[in-house]
Amino acid sequence: MLEIDDLDAFYGDAQALWGVSMEVGAGETVAVIGPNGAGKTTLVQCIAGMHRGRRGRITVDGVDVHALPAHKVCAYGVATVPEGRRVFPTMTVFDNLCVGAYRRAARATHRAELDRVHQLFPRLAQRAGQLAGSLSGGEQQMLAIGRALMARPRLLLLDEPSLGLAPVVTDEVFDAIGTVNGQGVSVLLVEQDVDRALEISTRCYLLAEGRVVSSGPSATLRESDEVRKSVLGL
Amino acid sequence: MITVQAALSGLLLGGLYALMAAGVSVTWGVLRVINLALFGMMLISAYLTFAVATAWGVDPLVTLLVTVPAMFVLGGLVQLTFDALKITELNSLLLSFGLLIVIVQAVSNIWSADFQRMAADVNPYATEAVHIGRFVFPAPTLLAFGVAILVIGGAHLLLRRTFAGRAVRAFAEDRTVAATFGIDHRKVGVLLAAVAGAIAAVAGMLFSLGNALTPATAFEWFGTVFAVVILGGVGQVAGTLAAGLLVGLLSGVVSVTLSPAASPFVLFSAIILALLLRPQGLFAVRTVVR
Amino acid sequence: MKGLLGIVAGVVGLATLSLYRETIGFPMFYLVLLTTMLFWVTQATSWNILSGFSGYFSFGQAAYVGIGAYSTAVLYGRHGVSFYLTVLVGAGLCAVLALAMGTIAFRLRSLRGEIFALLTLAVPFILAALARINGDIDGGQGIIVPIPEFPAGIGLFQDYLYLLTLVVAGGAVAVAYAIYHSRFGWALRAVHDAEDVAEGLGVATFRYKLLALTASAVLGGIGGSLFALQIGFVAVDSIFHLTIPLFVIVMSVLGGRTHWFGPVVGVALVVLLQDRLTASGLGEWQLIALGTILVLLVIAAPEGMYARIRSRPLVALAAAVVVTAVLWFVRPEPLDALLGGLIAATAVAMWPRRKRAVPVTAPVPAQTDAKPPEVRVERPPPVELGAVVVEVAHVARYFGGVRALEDVSLTIREGEIVGLVGPNGSGKTTLVSMLSGTLRPTRGTIRVAGRDLAGLPPHKVAHVGISRTYQIPKPFASMTVRDNVAMALMFGRSPRPLAVARRDATEPLETVGLGRLADAYPASLNLHQRQLLEIARALAADPKVLLLDEALAGLNPAEIDNAVEVIRRVHEGGVSIVIVEHLLRVVNQLATRIVVLDRGTCLADDEPAKVLADPRVVSAYLGRRAHARDR
Repeated sequence: MLEIDDLDAFYGDAQALWGVSMEVGAGETVAVIGPNGAGKTTLVQCIAGMHRGRRGRITVDGVDVHALPAHKVCAYGVATVPEGRRVFPTMTVFDNLCVGAYRRAARATHRAELDRVHQLFPRLAQRAGQLAGSLSGGEQQMLAIGRALMARPRLLLLDEPSLGLAPVVTDEVFDAIGTVNGQGVSVLLVEQDVDRALEISTRCYLLAEGRVVSSGPSATLRESDEVRKSVLGL
Repeated sequence: MITVQAALSGLLLGGLYALMAAGVSVTWGVLRVINLALFGMMLISAYLTFAVATAWGVDPLVTLLVTVPAMFVLGGLVQLTFDALKITELNSLLLSFGLLIVIVQAVSNIWSADFQRMAADVNPYATEAVHIGRFVFPAPTLLAFGVAILVIGGAHLLLRRTFAGRAVRAFAEDRTVAATFGIDHRKVGVLLAAVAGAIAAVAGMLFSLGNALTPATAFEWFGTVFAVVILGGVGQVAGTLAAGLLVGLLSGVVSVTLSPAASPFVLFSAIILALLLRPQGLFAVRTVVR
Repeated sequence: MKGLLGIVAGVVGLATLSLYRETIGFPMFYLVLLTTMLFWVTQATSWNILSGFSGYFSFGQAAYVGIGAYSTAVLYGRHGVSFYLTVLVGAGLCAVLALAMGTIAFRLRSLRGEIFALLTLAVPFILAALARINGDIDGGQGIIVPIPEFPAGIGLFQDYLYLLTLVVAGGAVAVAYAIYHSRFGWALRAVHDAEDVAEGLGVATFRYKLLALTASAVLGGIGGSLFALQIGFVAVDSIFHLTIPLFVIVMSVLGGRTHWFGPVVGVALVVLLQDRLTASGLGEWQLIALGTILVLLVIAAPEGMYARIRSRPLVALAAAVVVTAVLWFVRPEPLDALLGGLIAATAVAMWPRRKRAVPVTAPVPAQTDAKPPEVRVERPPPVELGAVVVEVAHVARYFGGVRALEDVSLTIREGEIVGLVGPNGSGKTTLVSMLSGTLRPTRGTIRVAGRDLAGLPPHKVAHVGISRTYQIPKPFASMTVRDNVAMALMFGRSPRPLAVARRDATEPLETVGLGRLADAYPASLNLHQRQLLEIARALAADPKVLLLDEALAGLNPAEIDNAVEVIRRVHEGGVSIVIVEHLLRVVNQLATRIVVLDRGTCLADDEPAKVLADPRVVSAYLGRRAHARDR
């Protein structure tokens, strides 16, 4: 589904990613963990087209998208749930969701998708007319995920969905991610919360200081001391 | 009585102010460029209305068929230039200022600096007046008001209810995230600017129905338009309408009760008060503190 | 000094053209043209003092000219008040207007440059309306300004006017020169490059902007009074016209906004162009030409001619001389030849240069290992802890409904290096912003050296003893590395003049290791070097506490090691340090104490070893369930 090949990314002359390679198979949930500043968000932005890598390839379903701007990348079935949610605060919940369905292929079926999102997150249905900026953190996270789902993605990118959320709410969110994956959407999850990330994913990559330091089945990495030390930055 | 008449007339006039301000406000709020050339487009449209209606003997409203597409294209072209140059807000102000000067001078070269006015047989609206109850309103003012409500109301609805409108609003809030849902910033920008140009064309035509034209008129619009833009909240369509009506109302009432001279001062003081107390605009409804 | 002498020489030289006009046989026509040029020199130079130096574009030059002209016209033209008195009155009114505009516009923190520009655009219209409608002022008919008496021996009135205009223009240029070379000028330049940073260094930006605006207004007004004499008839439409700001902007942008002499160059070219266009019957195209020039300038060469001429003075001069000479043969009118020569010089100056290879500074080795290098476990030597320097007491900060910080308390003592860590969204940046005075706490107090930070304007916070670096370095782009640091010394806690500041800048530069790059410009530094410059600049403010906000972001391991060394050196110099960092291994190496924030509250505050072993900290970083699993 997704293949990243030797990706280098820079901010000006500061290198954020060094030769990163990874893949997400169809229907998989893959996690990317690592300490802050490791480049996890940069990675997501490069895949989504929000940032341009300087070298390397990003292939979605066989198509090389690394040079495409964000508004073209989404046409290949990539949807993003950005770090910090970034819902559109002065637009209603309903409007936010509709923006998700903006792309041609999604617009035609947006009513059906809206129903599915409401089933997944009943609270969004209740708050359809409320301004997104007035929602709680958890509700905003659900809205951001719902918005991405409206685009009928084949690959869902999530950047630190647990950020700033209470544990109970995070449980709900992660359950929903699991359900979505169960419906056939491949998931790339970037997370700070190592345990949840390893629990929900089949495979995991450990990113530190812009490099893939280790990778493997999530079950194995759970027991690993290396992970613990790396995330603590030691 | 006189006051009420002045107030109502002012209110109606405010519709035109709002229409003039709408393009500037939206392009500033959404695209972060200040396009003074829109004033030039209003001027060109006003003069073209005069010229075409007089030359071909058609109803001034018909000239919209010429002016609207022309200004639509011009507006889009200016935005394309801004985009290609990756221009900053301040530089857009400078560049469009230069364009405006060129336009005003060109207009002056073509049509001379003398006051021009459509003859009565060309412009039937100028001499007509409508009686509503005890009040009298000139037809051009009423027409301008009606059109303004239609256009701004329509724009408001489009922004609220259609996919394209939502795309514009999303773009204004968070350009980068909007892009990840397929919203192409260049297309949005150019389209928005083109529509602003079209609206400017309509505003110019309406102005020419009830006023004499001289090239310097473009500069005289500055004060009122920016008052409306700032009071209504930059980028807020509905707010612009409300602010336009308010400005019209205030000007009308002040002219009659104090003196016509007092009008600019009241306006100026209103802008200053607004900037100090409520910088986001008097009518900005949807501001969520993040 | 040299410049001032040059200005005086110029003024004297130009004066002789009039004083000895008949002896030399200098045509009156040229004198009139020069008078016009000098009027514009005053206007453009005074405009540039605010708008060029500080970047706050003003469209309102016509307001000052109008006030000056009308003061003279009404008081002298109608009521016979002494002309010189009217100049004072006009200048005074302009000052009042400037103070009013500036106080309103510059106070609003969120609406700076563009709103100011639009405000200045609206003011002349308001004044014009006032003049047009108020019969006491104009009433729509215009006012005749008679010729005043002038000292015998000067020749014609035109000579006298010329001399007056010359003196005023010379004065304006001298003022611009003086400002450019003074503290005032440096402050304006800093505002232009990075206003927030300037405030953080202690520059009283509001005061300086207001002063510049007032100076610009007063000079413009004086020029306006003279203008009334020159044209003899003052009417609303001709005085408050938008051509005034247009000309002024084009002249300054063309000539060069950042230098005091730039506008003069622009004036010469534009007035000459204008004159020749009119003379050839193409007067209608003046404004079109000027508008087009402005558009092209904004697109292609926003920094103006003067800077470019200065980099190739001989070639430009040669071109000017050659073309002028050639044209003189062809066309009898010397002005045409001169214009041709100036245009040639411009074209030569503006010609894009072949890119010279940028001198490469010592390349920092690139890392190609897959794993980051092993941690060096040397600990800092235990330090004697001194008095309390920073006291944060029960601080909370809310943004709307979001609780970024809740009941955070901590103290920082002299000699400490405190590491401030925490997961994303824990409130680290908010706390740092509050410590540096940029944000106010919703509740609670922050004291630095005993002084409560609340209520202090940003530039005063710098004087209290806290300095801060930014994750994304924001150097003053138009100043050298040394001057960047000198700025902090000039405006910091113990202000000193530029020359002294430049000298004193050596020490902070050496501490961070940028000594050999002192004369480079920030654009030629790499990221690491720019971050070191940030640190040097912060250090130069002689702080008690240095806040390093993710100063190591984006660096490779070698650079990180270097940065750690620098931070150690700074600390040894007696500065307490608060370091916000994601790289825990670095914090581990450096810090005497680690404070962990998690979701707005303080989770731990202790020695590094203890903190990193604390199960709550581990769980905050690894996930909520890690702690449960460990049991």
